[in-house]
Amino acid sequence: MTPAALEAVAVTKHYRLGRQEIPVLRGIDLAVAAGESVALLGASGAGKSTLLHVLGLLDAPSGGEVRYDGRRVDDLPVRERAALRHRHVGFVFQFYHLIPELTALQNVQLARMMAISPLAYWRGRKQARAEAEAMLARVGLQERMRHRPAELSGGERQRVAIARALLARPRALLADEPTGNLDSHTASGVVELMFEVARQDGLALLLVTHDEELARRCKRTVRMKDGRVVG
Amino acid sequence: MIDAFSPFVAWRYLLTRRINLLAVFGVTFAVWAILLVDSVFTGFVSQIRQDVRSSACDLMVTDLPHDAGYERLAAAIAGVEGVAATAPRLRHHGLLLPARQRRTGIADQGSSQVDFDHTQNGFALLVGIDPEREAAVSGLRRWLDRGPDELAQRYPGDFWRSPVLDGADAGRRARMGMPDEDEWRARRRAGLPHEARSEDQRGAWPGVLFGWQRVRQLGWFPRSEPFDVVCASFTGGDGSAALHTHSLRVGFAGCFATGSRAVDEGMVLLPIETLRTMLGQDAADPASVDVVTDVAVRLRDGLSSAAVATTAAAIRARVQAALPAGAGPCLVADWQQQNETFLSAVAHEQGMMQFVLFVVMLVAAFVIYATLHMMVVQKVKDIGILAAIGGSPRSVGGVFLVSGLAVALVGTALGLLAGVLSAWNLNAANEWMFANFQLELFPRRLFDLREVPCRLEPSWIATVAAGAIALAVIVAAVPSRQAARMHPVLCLSRE
Repeated sequence: MTPAALEAVAVTKHYRLGRQEIPVLRGIDLAVAAGESVALLGASGAGKSTLLHVLGLLDAPSGGEVRYDGRRVDDLPVRERAALRHRHVGFVFQFYHLIPELTALQNVQLARMMAISPLAYWRGRKQARAEAEAMLARVGLQERMRHRPAELSGGERQRVAIARALLARPRALLADEPTGNLDSHTASGVVELMFEVARQDGLALLLVTHDEELARRCKRTVRMKDGRVVG
Repeated sequence: MIDAFSPFVAWRYLLTRRINLLAVFGVTFAVWAILLVDSVFTGFVSQIRQDVRSSACDLMVTDLPHDAGYERLAAAIAGVEGVAATAPRLRHHGLLLPARQRRTGIADQGSSQVDFDHTQNGFALLVGIDPEREAAVSGLRRWLDRGPDELAQRYPGDFWRSPVLDGADAGRRARMGMPDEDEWRARRRAGLPHEARSEDQRGAWPGVLFGWQRVRQLGWFPRSEPFDVVCASFTGGDGSAALHTHSLRVGFAGCFATGSRAVDEGMVLLPIETLRTMLGQDAADPASVDVVTDVAVRLRDGLSSAAVATTAAAIRARVQAALPAGAGPCLVADWQQQNETFLSAVAHEQGMMQFVLFVVMLVAAFVIYATLHMMVVQKVKDIGILAAIGGSPRSVGGVFLVSGLAVALVGTALGLLAGVLSAWNLNAANEWMFANFQLELFPRRLFDLREVPCRLEPSWIATVAAGAIALAVIVAAVPSRQAARMHPVLCLSRE
């Protein structure tokens, strides 16, 4: 049996507020296989985004394990976790999170500059640029490459974010309410794009959303409440 | 090692955030100020040391008893390895009074009148020398060349070179006498007894040499101008001390310039036999002592500092042995020890100046820190984004470290360029400022300099550049570390 691209095993997470310990995740078990799309539903404060961050190695679990392709990864040194985050997962956020000083092309190219020395990047810079241009063309932004985020619409910004997430050819795409800041027409286009690239590239897609309609487009829906999976 | 995105993002930040120009300007200004001010100061110090060196002999034997005879000491010193020549010196304080009313209209001044230039009142440090021997141990010939030059650089007039070392008559050279005709003219000008014809006049006045600063303040330069030298001595000492004054007419025999203002203002050279005779040791008297207060020594060329110290110790031992029993310890000082207080004061002043300039650099470093810290605070979300894409904490912090390094490199390069160009063109800029605005940035007259001495040491340029960059990197490391330690999730959630 092929191990899951992303897996949480009995993951717990709590935060400290003075002497008080506030549990956010209470023993989550979740696996997302390559090519599978999973919607994570739940009310605000259910722990969806925290789980996404823990699975994306942006945050460390308080207990349990995070596994990529069956290998435990949450206990790796910080630099290796960063490199793995770059290679294995791509993030798409509600607020796009693009760097305002960079053009669309430069924001996407940024994903090629991770876990590589300046000299090594300099040697392969032409290829990196060509790949970034191709990725922007793939998300339909070939005419907007030289524009900065402030000169792009919300939908275009999210497409740039998707292109950036995909450039390093990750095994999983983690999207945290990717349409939460878009109108319905634009959101529809962005969702179409995400599902299409996930299908084409065989990505494990984990989608945090409040939108039931969007959740229904995923192969599987996981509901969370008070830090637990409830269905 | 940092990832490729660190310099890329840092460069974009630097290009798009104008506040960084402030930090670049701060470093540029600090480096420029350090280079320029220190180059001027180094030039001054170098000039001062050069002047002091040219006014001093290699070694000076001093603190001798009042009845020390030169020939005995010279014989003792001559046997020391490394000694090339010796010369006697006799120091005594005295007064020099012009023998005639001066044409300037300024009346002769009494010694009680306040005179902060110390030359108009006639007081002088009389130094008796043997001209032949003195020329062999010090730069006397060079001083005599330079004296008229210094005056000619500043004033119109016939500033003749003293002929006292060049005459064919050894007796005349020993008493530093001027040509007979000069004395005849001087006597006639001053209304003093003289022969009817110049050819019949035989020069009788010993010559005196003034420092050019004294001549400048006196305001005249006639050959063989008559002066009366007055000095005093005591006899007794058993409670019945008596003061004896001695007076002698001498003729102005030219001026010298050693480069040291104190010497060129206060010292007057005259024949040592003349001064000895005035002090009661008449050379014609077989019982007289060839008294000296100092013996100037010239060493062989090319001796190392250690060899000079060894030679000084050997001379001290030999001289002490040659002195009468019960004499106090003599002192043998090299040129730096002869001017120790002055030179150490100058060195201390330069050290203080460098400290002040270092504080300027610290302020520039603080500006770098402030701008980078502000950048970290404003770019918290970007820090989270970079971490989410896969940036390691070290490389995320590297963005700000590289920013600080780039600011330091650009600021240092501009500062070095500005500093070097300013130093090279300092005198031209000073002239231009004075010509157009009557403003003199560096008042040369204050220091009697023909131009502002400016000396750029390559090692100092390298030290300033390395120091500026190192300091900038050190202060940039603080916000860099702050950025590296930020939690990516908290950064992303920051509004």
